[in-house]
Amino acid sequence: MNKESVNKAPSSKTPAILFTLAALVIVSAIASITFGPANIGVNDLMSCLFSSCQNQVANVVIWQVRIPRVLVALVAGMGLAIAGAILQNTTRNPLADPYLFGIVSGAGLGATIANISLVDNLTIALPLAAFLGALFSVVIVVFIAKVLQHMEQLLLAGVAVSFMLGSITQFILYFGEPFATNRVIFWLMGSLARVEISNFYVISGVLIIAIATVIALHRQIDALLLGDESAASLGVDVDKLRLLMLAICAALTATIVAYCGGIGFVGLMIPHIVRQLIGVTTLKLIIGSALIGAIFLIWVDVVARSSLPEAEIPIGIITSALGSLFFLFIMYRSRQSNL
Amino acid sequence: MKSLLFIISVITSQFAYSQTSAEIKKPTIIALSPHIVEMLYDIGAGEQIIGTTSFANHPEEAKKIPVIGNYVRLQLERVIELQPDLIIAWKSGNPSDDLARLKQLGFTVVYSQPNTFKDIADETRLFGKLTGNSEKSQQVAKEFEKELKAITQTYNNKTEITGFYELWSRPLTTVAQHSWPQQFLNICGVNNPFEKALTPYPQISIEQVLPASVQVIIQPNSKSQKERESFNWQNWPMIPAVKNNNIIKPDTDAIHRMTLRSLNALDSLCFAVDNIRKKLFSTSTVTTQKLTLGAAK
Repeated sequence: MNKESVNKAPSSKTPAILFTLAALVIVSAIASITFGPANIGVNDLMSCLFSSCQNQVANVVIWQVRIPRVLVALVAGMGLAIAGAILQNTTRNPLADPYLFGIVSGAGLGATIANISLVDNLTIALPLAAFLGALFSVVIVVFIAKVLQHMEQLLLAGVAVSFMLGSITQFILYFGEPFATNRVIFWLMGSLARVEISNFYVISGVLIIAIATVIALHRQIDALLLGDESAASLGVDVDKLRLLMLAICAALTATIVAYCGGIGFVGLMIPHIVRQLIGVTTLKLIIGSALIGAIFLIWVDVVARSSLPEAEIPIGIITSALGSLFFLFIMYRSRQSNL
Repeated sequence: MKSLLFIISVITSQFAYSQTSAEIKKPTIIALSPHIVEMLYDIGAGEQIIGTTSFANHPEEAKKIPVIGNYVRLQLERVIELQPDLIIAWKSGNPSDDLARLKQLGFTVVYSQPNTFKDIADETRLFGKLTGNSEKSQQVAKEFEKELKAITQTYNNKTEITGFYELWSRPLTTVAQHSWPQQFLNICGVNNPFEKALTPYPQISIEQVLPASVQVIIQPNSKSQKERESFNWQNWPMIPAVKNNNIIKPDTDAIHRMTLRSLNALDSLCFAVDNIRKKLFSTSTVTTQKLTLGAAK
C-alpha cells in the first residue's frame, strides 16, 4: 500500500468504519453481560434482562454487578481513549498520555493519604482523595509550565511531577501502616469490580461535557496540528486552548482513576489505532477513539473477571500487557511501511 | 462496637429461632484469610465455611474450600452466588472497596484484626458467638490464655540477650515496636536493637547490625523458600551470633500467622533462644523445659 492510498483509504471508508464500530460497541456491551464467574444460565439471563427475574441471585449479579461493570467499562474506555487523543493532538506529541501528567501518581498520593489517615471511611474518602490528588498533580504541572513559559514543556514537567509525587507516596507508605502499601499498590492496578451504577452516571456526565467541548473546538485543535505559529496566525489562542484541553483531560482521567484505579496504556494506544484506521483530524480521532476505547475496555474487563477460576485479574495489568505488545507491533509495522 | 453487638444479637437470635427444628442450623461463612479459616477450624466451625481466599492451607481439609479471590480482589459474583450468612474479613488484608460493596449488597461483614496474642483469644470467643460454637470457642480461648501465661511466666525473669530478627533479606528488613513478631521477642527475652525504629518493619543495612553485637539471629524460613533467598550471615563472622552459630530458623507460616498455632511457634522460639542463653551464660542454674501445648495444635 503506497502513501497516497493510505491517506485516501480512511476518509472514503470512514462512515462505514464508524457505523461498524458503533454496532460493535452495542454488541460488545450486550454480549459481555453473559461472561462472569457466577454460573448464570441463558434462560435466567434473558428473564432477568427482559422480564421479571425468578432467580434472585442472578438478578443481583446481573443488575448490581455485571451491568454497572459493563457500563463503566464503556464510558471509562471512551474517556481514557479520548483524553489520550486530545492530548496527543494538542501537544503534537504521539507519546502524550494523561498518565504522563502525573495523574496516576497524584491519584496514588491521594489514595495513600486516604488509606493511612481515613481508614474507616475509605468508601467515600478513597475516590475523593484520588480525584483531588490527580487534579493537584495537573495543577502543579500547569503551574510549572506557566512559570517556564513553555506550554510545550508540559510533558516534561508532567514526568518530573509524576516522579516527585511518587516519591512522596513511597515515603508516606514506608512510614505508615504496612498493609496500606498493599492496598494502595493493588488499588493502583485498576479494577472495575468495585464500581456501581452511580459511578457510571458521574463518569458519563464528565465525558459528555468533554466530548461536547472538543467537538465545538475541533477546528481550533486541528489548527494546532499545523504548529503553534500557524495556529496563532489562524486566530487560535494557543496557550488558552491547550490549557482548556488539559483541564478537560485532567477532569476526565481523574474521575475515571478515582473509581477504577490505574488503567494504563488505553489513552496512549487507542488513538494510534484510530489514526491508522480512520484518520488524524480531531473529530474523526475523537469519535473513533471513543468507540474503539469502549470496545477494548469492555472485553478487557471480561478477561479480567472470567479468565481465572478463583480470582480476578486487575484490569490495569491486562491493558498494560496488551497495550505494550500492540504498541511494539504498530512500531514494527510503521517501520516496515517506511522501508 | 454497638454495630458488632447488634450483628451478634441478630445472628444469635436467628439460631434461637432455628433451634426449634430438630437440628440447629449454623450460619454459613465466607472466611477471607488463611488465619480466619484456621481459627474457625479450631473452634469447630470449619464445616460451615463455604468460601475462602488463596493460601488457606491449614488444616488439610481447608484446601478443599472453594476459593473466591485473593488478597488483591474478591470475586463478588461468586460471593453473591454462595449466599453466605456471614462474611469474616481481615480488615487490613482484604480489599476494602470489595468489602464495602458486599456490605452495600446486604451481606453481614465482620472484621478480624488480631494484632496481639490477646486479640487471638478475644477473636476466638467472638467467632464462637457468631458461628454458634460458643462453648468450644470459650474452652479453646481459655486454654490458649492459660498456655500463653505459662510461657510468659517461664521466660519472664530470664536475662535478656540481644537478637536480630530477619524478616526479609533483600532489602534487609527487620521488625520493631507495633509489629507482630516483636511480641515474640519480648516474651522470649530477646532485646531487639531496632525495637524503637519509626516503622514496624524497618529496612536496615548490615552496617547498623554490626555494632549491635547481636547474640542470636532469628531467620524465619518457609518450606517453599530457597536457602539462597535468606541473608548470608556467614559473610559476617565478626557478629557474635554468626561466630557461635546461634542462628534460629523457625517456620515462617507458624510464626507469622495470627492463630492458635502461633503459641507453638512462640514456645519453640523461646526454647531455642533459652538454649542459646544457657550457652552464653553457662553459669546459670535455671533450667527450662519446652512446654507441651494442648490448645495450639
